[in-house]
Amino acid sequence: MNPQPAQSEALRGGEQPVSAGQVLRIHGLSVSYPVYGQEPVKAIRDLDLGVRPGEILGLVGESGSGKTTLARAIMGLLARPGRIDGGAVNFDGRDMRALSEEALRAIRGRDIAMIIPNPRGELDPLLTVGRQIAAVARAHLNITRAKAEELALEMLRAVQIPDPKRRFNAYPHELSGGMAQRVVIAMSLVCSPKFIISDDATSGLDVTVQAQVLDLLRALVRDKRTAMMFITRDIGITAHFCDRVAVIYAGEIVELAPTGRFFENPMHPYSVMLLAAFAHNPKLREKWHKPLASLIRSQGKACEYATRCVHVEPQCNATHPELRELEPGHFVRCFVPVLRPA
Amino acid sequence: MQSANEPALDPGEAGALGASAAGRRWTRLKFQLRFLLAVLRARPMFALGYFIVLTIIILGVFAPLIAPYPPETANPEDFLQLPSGRHLLGTDATGMDIFTRIIYAPRIDLTIAIAGTVISAVVGSLIGALVGYYQEMRGIRAFFAGFVMRAADVLQAFPVFVFAIALVAIFGQSLQSIIAAIAFVNTPIYLRLMRSQVLAIRNMRYVEASYVSGASDVAIMLRHIIPNSLGPILSQLSVNIGWSVLLTAALSFVGAGVVAPTPEWGSMIAVGFQSIITGQWWPSVFPGIALAVTVFGFALVGASVEVLADPSRRRALGGTLRQKPSGAA
Amino acid sequence: MRVLRYVGKRLIFIVPQLFGIILVSFFLVKLIPGDPAVLMLGPFATEEQLEKLRAGMGLQGTVLDQFWIYLTNLVQGDLGTSWQTTQPVLLDLFQRFPATLELITLALLLALVIGIPLGVAAAYFKRSIIKKFSDYYGLLAGALPDFWLGLVLIFFFYTMLDWVPAPLGRLDIALIPPPTVTNFLLIDSVIAGDWQALWSALGRLILPVVTLGVINAGPILKMTQSTMERMLESDFIRYAETCGLPRSVVIRRALRNSLPSIVTIISVLYGFLIGGAVLVEIVFSWGGAGQYAVQGVLNADINPVLGFVLFSAIFSLVIYLIVDLIYFAIDPRIRS
Repeated sequence: MNPQPAQSEALRGGEQPVSAGQVLRIHGLSVSYPVYGQEPVKAIRDLDLGVRPGEILGLVGESGSGKTTLARAIMGLLARPGRIDGGAVNFDGRDMRALSEEALRAIRGRDIAMIIPNPRGELDPLLTVGRQIAAVARAHLNITRAKAEELALEMLRAVQIPDPKRRFNAYPHELSGGMAQRVVIAMSLVCSPKFIISDDATSGLDVTVQAQVLDLLRALVRDKRTAMMFITRDIGITAHFCDRVAVIYAGEIVELAPTGRFFENPMHPYSVMLLAAFAHNPKLREKWHKPLASLIRSQGKACEYATRCVHVEPQCNATHPELRELEPGHFVRCFVPVLRPA
Repeated sequence: MQSANEPALDPGEAGALGASAAGRRWTRLKFQLRFLLAVLRARPMFALGYFIVLTIIILGVFAPLIAPYPPETANPEDFLQLPSGRHLLGTDATGMDIFTRIIYAPRIDLTIAIAGTVISAVVGSLIGALVGYYQEMRGIRAFFAGFVMRAADVLQAFPVFVFAIALVAIFGQSLQSIIAAIAFVNTPIYLRLMRSQVLAIRNMRYVEASYVSGASDVAIMLRHIIPNSLGPILSQLSVNIGWSVLLTAALSFVGAGVVAPTPEWGSMIAVGFQSIITGQWWPSVFPGIALAVTVFGFALVGASVEVLADPSRRRALGGTLRQKPSGAA
Repeated sequence: MRVLRYVGKRLIFIVPQLFGIILVSFFLVKLIPGDPAVLMLGPFATEEQLEKLRAGMGLQGTVLDQFWIYLTNLVQGDLGTSWQTTQPVLLDLFQRFPATLELITLALLLALVIGIPLGVAAAYFKRSIIKKFSDYYGLLAGALPDFWLGLVLIFFFYTMLDWVPAPLGRLDIALIPPPTVTNFLLIDSVIAGDWQALWSALGRLILPVVTLGVINAGPILKMTQSTMERMLESDFIRYAETCGLPRSVVIRRALRNSLPSIVTIISVLYGFLIGGAVLVEIVFSWGGAGQYAVQGVLNADINPVLGFVLFSAIFSLVIYLIVDLIYFAIDPRIRS
């Protein structure tokens, strides 16, 4: 394991899930999707999380664990019929939930930007990429069209697109996947946002291209001390890329730790299982992986992971575990954490 | 989400619970009736569509029992009477009772429209299925498939209405020839619809799988392609019947369809046309409303068929119906 | 340059297409029973007179011979003569086609003005009254017979209120029509500076244009709404929302991406209305091309029918060509 040395002083000590000095602070956030005639599905439950300026926070979880719901809830773009049941999203001193749609629009793209996967499908097929980048700049920065286009060209250069002048006038269908991804990064950075959410952004790319894009992204973010939430299904990427790692399961943070600590000693059985699956070690996998019987939600009366866990004890099925700080800055939601390296 | 939790709403599973064959059929029927009722409660507009269509058909069938006057007997003393207790919707310029003629009219209009549309749907779908199935192969059949499509192009390049009138003129002015004309102008619609359906379904994995496992062309068509393409065809059929009612009326309106004393909405509007300038609106307005309501009803039925024939949309609708039908409209 | 090659390819296909249409329509129309020579000269004509007339009308010999005569005349720009108007069909069509075009062009413009904004609004505000209204509008517009709606409008606005002139043609009978240049009355009266004629022509256009416009707004509305709904759900619009682009920009982008479908439905309606407006033409005694063709069919007058079919086919093909050029202008993916 080769974790990135932590940048922030605070990270070496016991950084709490949410603390002052963080640009984004999520407090007790709950999101649910109503289902007709049934209990609503709780996609996010009572979630605390924060990101410091200049920090890259990795958010790891399987499909359906609530990663994208969290991202969209932060931006106030929750898809119907999802709704926020409670909690607070504080961004840069503003209560995001109290803001009007127009105020949110002004923040999106300006202060909080989002990078998404499958970038070619996410760009307007009828407009040149240069104009699309310039449109974002013009929407937020109160500058002339010429100035915005100049800025767009500058951004294309910054994301190291070869021959940026020519690419400026290219249409999305004329770009490769990696190139389109760079365009989307340029678009998200054009207003120098304070916070970037990357939602599974590199999943569609070749491994080599992925590495290039990630390096570029990290350099740009570090350069401007931008905070970033890096959502991924690939726990391996977080080891190289993030300062802290949060593991999300069934809408809850089950483990949160500085990257180094996390990879040295993952404490939640689910984290260990994820790492085992990633390590391609059959013995490890056999030890930690239990065939998925059912995904019955516990409704807050038991550990959500109990049905899949290999270390179930009576209290796991009786009480819902809280997130506990087991060593400075290392939080685990488990009654029987794995205390030795697996 | 919904589908996993509602075994009771699946006709197949519900049927499997029944013991004997007859019992199973009864359970299935009961289930389907209940489902239909639930759908109609959730989507009152669909119910309105079925209500309109049924009412028009019943009125037409039982017209001789309901109608207060004979439909084709002129009564010159009573000409252009305003709607009143004696003549519910008034009389036309020859003194015929408009209400009587309106409820007699579906006998002609619906017969022509339904017969013409069904013929075109059957013929067009069959040709379309063959064309779609063989188009991408090689040899003489693919050549014919291409030829049929070019012919359909040419036919569709004709202005529909002039084409229909020309057909009626060629065959002579009779019920059969109007049906033939309507069938003829509608056929390319089904030909194209079926062809595109078949082309899409043909390349699906399950069709390929059954091809690889040695099923014959006929078996593939009967088992996979026709059942899967039936939904859009049926939905189009219903909308198209309404549209053919309009066309029938239009033909009669210009004098190329049903001849004057026969009760028919289009020719009634045409006859009333002269009076409207002088202020007698009822001979034209009432048949027009009857015509519009009928077409509207068939359009609604078409919309409902479109939803009900698609298993996923039917499920979605069923899911919303399950417990709180009141909130689902 | 690519555009030219594209257009050229389309033009090459037009000739065989037109030939096919003429071929089919010739034999089709030939099947219509009735001998125009008898109809023209009446029951007391001698066989000799009839033969002479038939020869003059290109009606002797086998059907194939007649088709050959028709084709050779056609190549020379002669579409034959109508025995009803006793004028060359070409001349008749040059008078009547513009009448129909003027009517349906304005009607489609009205339909656009109604259909597109309503469709966009219904797609954007999914849970609003506008959405409900446009749903019902679409169903209702599809159900109303246009000729009947025309009659009802005449009853209200002419018979009852007397707000519009009598539904008798394109111009007040008392007025002298402006000198013929294009046969589009609006254009001709502007050219002649004849404002009285312009006013009269406009007044007479109102009801038929409203009739056709209100009904044909239905399909445009439905198409706009469904395409816009799809676009607003699409990934790139959702991404535009996450970029915080203003609402107006988002709607403009979705609409721009919906344009190809909307343009297609407009072109289909345009081609359809050339013949499809005939009922409204009859109601308003418009003297348009559709009416001319229908009279031809009903009276075994072959040449006007053939001429009309040919004209409307060419018109449709031109429209489709323009549509292709519009696609070309809108969508860069077609260009490359």
